[in-house]
Amino acid sequence: MKRVYLGEFEELVLLVVAMLESDAYGVKITHEITDQTNRSVRLNQVHAALHRLEDKGMINSKMGDPTPQRGGRRKRIFTITAFGQNTLAEMKTVRAHLWNLLPSSMKIVGG
Amino acid sequence: MNPTNSNPSPPRWATRLLRWYCAPHLVEEVQGDLEEEFDFKVKQVGIARAKLEYIRNVIGFIKPFAIRRKKYLSTKSSTMSMFTHYATVAFRNVVRQKTFSAINIVGLALGMTCCLFIFLWVGDEKSVDNFHANGSQLYNIYQTVARNGQTTGVYSTPSVLIYQNLNAKKKGEITGVNLDDFKQAVPEIKKINWYATGYELPWGHSETFQVGEKIQKFDGSRAGKDFFTMFSYPIIAGDANAALHDISSISISRKMAIFFFGSPKEAIGKSIRYENKFDFVVNAVFENITSHSSLTFDFLINWDSHIKQLEQASPIILTTLELEENADIVQVEIKLNHFLQSRLDKNDPEKISVGLKSYGEKYLNSTFLNGKPQEGRMIYVRIFTGVAVFILIIACINFMNLATARSVKRAKEVGVRKVVGSSRFSLVSQFFGESLLLSFLSLFVSIALIQIFLPFFNALASKQIASPISVPSYWAALIGMALFTGLIAGSYPALYLSSLKPARILKGTLRFTNSAIWFRKGLVVFQFALSIVLLIATIVVSNQTSFVQNTNLGYDRDNRILIQLEGELNPKYSLFKERAMKMPGIVMVDRSTEAPHAMGFVVDENDGLKNTLNGDDAINWEGKPKDASVGFKPASVGFDFIKIMNLKVAEGRDFSKSFATDSADAFMVNEEAVKQMGIKNPIGKWVSAWAKKGHIVGILKDYHTNSLREPIKPLILDVKEYEYFGVIIVSFEPGKTKEALASMETVCKEINPNYPFAFQFMDQEYDKLYRTEQVITKLTNIFAVLGIAISCLGLLGLVMFAAEQRTKEIGIRKVLGATVTNIVNLLSKEFLALVLLSFLIAAPIAGYFMYQWLQGFAYKIELSWWIFALAGASAVVIALITISVQAVQSATTNPVKSLKVE
Repeated sequence: MKRVYLGEFEELVLLVVAMLESDAYGVKITHEITDQTNRSVRLNQVHAALHRLEDKGMINSKMGDPTPQRGGRRKRIFTITAFGQNTLAEMKTVRAHLWNLLPSSMKIVGG
Repeated sequence: MNPTNSNPSPPRWATRLLRWYCAPHLVEEVQGDLEEEFDFKVKQVGIARAKLEYIRNVIGFIKPFAIRRKKYLSTKSSTMSMFTHYATVAFRNVVRQKTFSAINIVGLALGMTCCLFIFLWVGDEKSVDNFHANGSQLYNIYQTVARNGQTTGVYSTPSVLIYQNLNAKKKGEITGVNLDDFKQAVPEIKKINWYATGYELPWGHSETFQVGEKIQKFDGSRAGKDFFTMFSYPIIAGDANAALHDISSISISRKMAIFFFGSPKEAIGKSIRYENKFDFVVNAVFENITSHSSLTFDFLINWDSHIKQLEQASPIILTTLELEENADIVQVEIKLNHFLQSRLDKNDPEKISVGLKSYGEKYLNSTFLNGKPQEGRMIYVRIFTGVAVFILIIACINFMNLATARSVKRAKEVGVRKVVGSSRFSLVSQFFGESLLLSFLSLFVSIALIQIFLPFFNALASKQIASPISVPSYWAALIGMALFTGLIAGSYPALYLSSLKPARILKGTLRFTNSAIWFRKGLVVFQFALSIVLLIATIVVSNQTSFVQNTNLGYDRDNRILIQLEGELNPKYSLFKERAMKMPGIVMVDRSTEAPHAMGFVVDENDGLKNTLNGDDAINWEGKPKDASVGFKPASVGFDFIKIMNLKVAEGRDFSKSFATDSADAFMVNEEAVKQMGIKNPIGKWVSAWAKKGHIVGILKDYHTNSLREPIKPLILDVKEYEYFGVIIVSFEPGKTKEALASMETVCKEINPNYPFAFQFMDQEYDKLYRTEQVITKLTNIFAVLGIAISCLGLLGLVMFAAEQRTKEIGIRKVLGATVTNIVNLLSKEFLALVLLSFLIAAPIAGYFMYQWLQGFAYKIELSWWIFALAGASAVVIALITISVQAVQSATTNPVKSLKVE
C-alpha cells in the first residue's frame, strides 16, 4: 500500500482533531493548537491543513448544527478516521522505535 | 467610534470580499469561523485589533483550496454522460431509420421553408413605403366621392385642391393652388407634395428623352419641389433642395444618368431634351427606385411644368402632406375639408370630401369601402401570416404522427429506462432533445432550400427580396422557429411516452385511446381536404387562364405590333403609312386613339343623375332618353381599322375613303351599343360624340375590347386621322416578324428621328392583362404539390402506425393463407375511406371559392363535374401509392419474422 506522508503541521492538526473528539472545528482547533503549543497559528493555515487531511482520507467532516454565536452559521465538525488513527499510531511507533535507538546521552535532552 | 458598541461586527467589505472569492460550499464554515474568531478577538484585544485581524484572516484565506469550486463529482459527471448518451441514442435513431428520418426532416423542412418564404414576403410587404425618415409625419390625401347614392374612394386629390383658374380655356392660364392659402387654412401643414405618374394607362406612356445622339424612353412622374426633402429617396449627386426647384428642373435616376451621361456626377447641370419639346436641366440624380417604394419613376419633372406645359399625365394625383409633429389628424382633416368645401361648387350633385391616411399605410390599405381606405393587401399579409403559422403547425403535427407511429418501438426503450431508474424529467428532455435535433437538421435543409429557391420565389412574387443570410435578426428568427418547431413537434412523444407505465409497456403492446386515434385521423382528413381544395383550384385556375388566352376575341391579335403615336408620327401619318406599306413584310398600317386590346376609357357611365341636371353627356343620339346612363367606349380610328383588326360588320358598311363624308360624319357602333341605346334601325340615325355630330354607317359585331374580366361594352368609333395621341397598329405577314420589325424601324427612324423605335406585340400585351391569373396559377400549382406532399406525410404516419400495431395480425393472416393483395387491401381500405371523406368535405368548399373567383370574369369556364372528379381521383391515387409503400412492405414480410417478435 502506498504510504501517506503527513507533514509536521498536519500531524499536529490531526492530533488535535483526535483530541477534541466530536468538537473539532476551525476556530477550536486553532485555539487549541495555540494554547497547547504556544505556536502562533492562523485560521487559514488550519483550514488548509484540514482540507489536505480530508483529501488524504485521515479525517471526515460533516456540517454541525447552527449555533447563535456565529451568526447562525453551521460549523464543519471534523472527526478522525480509522485510517487517520492508524497513521498516527504508526508514526508514534516509528518515532518511539527511533527514540529507543538514540544514544542515551541524547535521550536526556529529549526526555 | 463608540467604544460601548454592544454588538461589534467585522468590516463589511472584507466579508463581501470573502463571500465573493470563496467557494460556495466553504463559505458558511469559513465565514462562521472567522466571525467566531472575531468575537473572540474583540473580547481579547478590542475592536480595532479584531477588525485588523479579521481582514488579515480574510486575505489569508485567498488560497487555492478556498477558491476552487467544488466539482460535482457524483451528479454532474453523470448528467454529462447522460447527455452524451442521449445524443448518441438520438443520432443512432436518425441514422438507423434513414427513410423515416428523411421523411421527417423533409416534412419539417418543407413546412419551415414555406413558412420562411411567407414571412420573407410579409416582411417585405410591410417594409414598402416605410423607409422615409419622417414617415410618421407624412399623410396621403384620399378623396371620397358620393354620387348617385354610391360612394367611392381613391388615393387621389380633388382638382380644386391642386389648381387655380380651373375654368381657364388655355392650359397656360391654369396655375397651381396658392400654397399660402392652403397653409393658412391648415396651419399644421409643413410641406405639400403632388405626385402624378406620366406613364400609367389610360393617358400615360413612356416618355422620350434625348441627349446628343442618345434617344431613349423612360417611365417617370411629376412631383412638387419639396419631394426630395419630404421623402428619403437617396440623392447621389446634386442637391435635394434644388432637385425640382423650378419649371425647367428634372431629377433622374442613376440608371438614366449612366445611360445618358456615363455617371451621376457628369449629369448634374446638363441639359436633357424631353419629347423633342422642352429642355430640362438635371439638378439631381437619385438612387434607382427599389421595390420598397410604391412610387416608381426614373425621372421626376417639376410640378409647375406639369401644370403649365406638359401634355398628359395620370389623372390620379397623389397629394402627400408633411404635418407638424403631434398634429391632430382629425383636426387637420376637418380643416382640410373646410378648405375644400369653400372651393367647391355647392350645386354640384357630386359630394366630394377628403381624408388622410398615414403614408406608410397606403400600400397595404389600397382598396376602398364606402369611400374609406380598407385593408387591401393587408388582408393578404394577414392571411399569409396565418397560413405560415398553420403550415408549420401542420408539419409539426405530422412529425408527431410519425413519431407516435414509432412509439411502439421506442416504448420498450422507455420502459427499460424507467425500470433502470430514469426520472420523468430526463425522459422528457431526451425526447425534446431528439425532436430539437431533427428540427435543427430540418432548419439547415430549409435554409439551403431558401437559398436555392429565392430567385424563383422573387420571380413569382415579383419581389426583389435579398437573401437575408447576413441579417442577425433573421438568424434569431430561424433559431426561434427551430426551437418552436422542435418543442411543438416533440411535445406529444415526449409527454406521452414518458408518461407510460413501464410494467404495461414491457408486458405487451401499446394501446392508444380511441380519441387519440380519431384526433390523428381527423388531422389527416383535414390535410387531405385542404390538398383537394388546392387541386381543384389548380385545375379551375389553369383552365380559366387557358380559356381566356384561347378564346376567340372577335379580332386578330397575332402578327400585329403597336407603336406609340408620338413626335412626327401624327403630323406625317399619311407619309408614314405610305412608306410603311411598301416595306417588305408589312401587310397593313392603321391607327387608333386607344390600344384595341385594352380599351380602358369609358364615358357617361352611371351618370344618369348628372345628365338630368345639365345634359352634358359626351355621347348623344337620336331619341336618347333623358336619364340614359350608357357607358360608351369611344375611340377614333383610321380608315382601315376594321380591316386591320379583322372585325366583322354585322349591318351597314365599313368606313371607307370612297365616301367623302366619312372622315367628318361617319360613326360605327357595336351591337351591344345598339341594344343599350335602344334604337331600332340604327343605320343612318344621328349620333354625336362631344362636339362632333354624325351618322351611324355600320354596326360591328361585338368583340372584346378588354380582358375577359369585363363584359362587352357599347363601343363607338369614328375616323380621325389627326388625333395627336394613340397608337399605330401594324400587321405583318406571318413568319416574317424579323423582316417586318426591321422595316418598321427603318421607317420610324426616317420619319420620326427624335424618338427611339419602340413597339409592343399585341398578343403579348393581351396576355399581360392576365398576369395576376398567371401568378395565381403558379402559386396554386406549387401549393397543391406542397399540400399533397405534406398530407401524404401525415397519411404515411398513420399507415406506418397501423402496420406496426397489426404486425402480428398480418403475420397470422399470412400463415393462414392471406395473399399480399388481401393484406394490402386490409391496410388500405380504412385510409381510403379517410381520403374519400376529405373529398366530400373539400368539394363543396372548393366549389364555393372557385365560383366566387370565376365571378371576377364576365366570360368564364363552367365548373363541371369532371374537375372535381379529376381532383378527387388524383388525391385517391396519390394516397393509394403512399399507403401501398408501407402496406406492401408489411404484407411481404415473412410471417416468421413478424410472429417471432416479442
